[in-house]
Amino acid sequence: MNVEELISDAFREQAADTMPAPPHFADRVLAVRRRRRTRRLVSVAAATVTAVAVAVAGPRLSTGRDDVRPASELNHNDVIGHPDQSPPRTLIAAGDTVLSAFYVTKAVEQPNGDDVLTRTYGLLDQKTGVYKKTRWAFLDVAPGSRTAAVLEGELPARRIGLLDLITGRVDRWIKTDRGVASVAFSPDGTKLVATTYAKNPDRMFADHKQDIDGKEVPGPVPSRTGFTVVDVDSGKSDWHKAPHPTDETGWFGNARADFAFSHDGTLVYAETPMKPFRDYYSLDGDRADWPADEKGRASAKAGLSPDGKLLAGEFAGYGATIAAAILDPHTHRQITTVPVQQLLAWADNKRLIAWGCDPKKCDGKGEFHNQLLLVTVGTNKVVPLSGFRKASADYPGRWTPIFSKR
Amino acid sequence: MDAQADETFRDFVANRSSALLKTAVLLSGGDRHGAEDLLQNALIKVAGRWNRIEEPEAYVRQVLYRQHISRWRLKWPRRELSVATTPEVSTPADAASAAELRLVMRGALARLTARQRTVLVLRYFEDLPEADVARILGCSVGTVRSTTHRSLARLRALAPELAALGPATVEQQPSQHKSPVEVRP
Repeated sequence: MNVEELISDAFREQAADTMPAPPHFADRVLAVRRRRRTRRLVSVAAATVTAVAVAVAGPRLSTGRDDVRPASELNHNDVIGHPDQSPPRTLIAAGDTVLSAFYVTKAVEQPNGDDVLTRTYGLLDQKTGVYKKTRWAFLDVAPGSRTAAVLEGELPARRIGLLDLITGRVDRWIKTDRGVASVAFSPDGTKLVATTYAKNPDRMFADHKQDIDGKEVPGPVPSRTGFTVVDVDSGKSDWHKAPHPTDETGWFGNARADFAFSHDGTLVYAETPMKPFRDYYSLDGDRADWPADEKGRASAKAGLSPDGKLLAGEFAGYGATIAAAILDPHTHRQITTVPVQQLLAWADNKRLIAWGCDPKKCDGKGEFHNQLLLVTVGTNKVVPLSGFRKASADYPGRWTPIFSKR
Repeated sequence: MDAQADETFRDFVANRSSALLKTAVLLSGGDRHGAEDLLQNALIKVAGRWNRIEEPEAYVRQVLYRQHISRWRLKWPRRELSVATTPEVSTPADAASAAELRLVMRGALARLTARQRTVLVLRYFEDLPEADVARILGCSVGTVRSTTHRSLARLRALAPELAALGPATVEQQPSQHKSPVEVRP
């Protein structure tokens, strides 16, 4: 045998050892292509604006040293996971979706005996691709992951900041007539819905005690007044009254009941602890029905797939089996299941980001020992994206992810 | 891409991606994730001109090879291959069986440059003559010949076990001409 024959044999053996291409590889290819084309169109538009600006400002040529593309775009790998990181330190993304931020909640005792459930956010720095601790009391990241809407503490805030995730600076402040304690972008990023409250919904008041396990502790005070729809470009806003729902026993639930946009951006909704579990409103403030194709229970945050053909369902496991349902959005029948606990966000039309526990340790408290996974509908294949959260529902540092479009 | 093109593209990927991935894995020196990225990028490029391509597989393969050795990819810092074990230098006596030799060769191939490995894949996996390799890579026959020569010398340096083998022939014509569009299992 000579060297060429050995090379040939080694290649053939290696080729034979190669596992087949992943299922739905065409979907993945076409999704990445769509994403890049969209970006290119946006870049061309941006380049035109820049060219005009440079022409006006005079010949100040770029040295190319300041690459202003965001980290989530520079690293365009389809799946970027860090199974060793919990909470995450560096960029996590899959398909069209990026983990743009996460938060950790901590009860901070006040001098007057109140407790404030304070959020600390880790927000993606698009210049470096790492999550940085921020000072904001509340935030949401716009589709495209270049801008965040931010609120200052203590809530409710009187202005909404538009933070550039590359420079880390607030480009613009939008003033609001009423105090807001949450913000959420519309699916196209052109609007914000801000939920208005009279008091801080995260403050537990010492003079409104609640009984928890036989112990009197500071309790919440319901104070939601409604929601404001803000046009991001003009800063114009439109407030609508929408207090907490009550029944014959009065108010029951969380003081924080924030509004978010429906899948197509034509309605807003807030979750409710009782049936119907979601209250929908039109952007003009009229009560609306829960859209038929989005109907399902609220805990599957992923909702409809981007193409609207699949609906993320509830936990559908039994015994030791861990599974979440994938539903037909028209009939609400279960089409299949995927081996995870909770479906959080769609990465594309076939893949979801979800919480999943270690299959060997899912019993009892083990259900809280979970990590972010990428799962493909129609397969049992899971790809770990983050490290595990500890096996406790409530420990200092337990983080909650926020996803946005890449 | 219209609906019909979308369907034929999906069919092509469903039927051929596993075979194409084998080649991509060889080009990437066994880096499966790198291979999937390489194939994905080649297919994205091909999707853009799907309606105008007559021989999709030949075209995809050409894109795959050229992309792998393109300057942009070579400059890209994340292309470094990480392996769990350090390469061991063993003596000829250690490499007893052919299976062991193939493993040694695989390890050495993974440590070649992208350009060197691409030329060897075309010559010894696709069994293409030097002229075809030159056409696919867009370089001269002389470049293919010198790259092959240097690659073999580098393999010998990386794996001293290979010294026991017979010498490489200068220009070995493949016994049978095989087009890159040939369907592989």
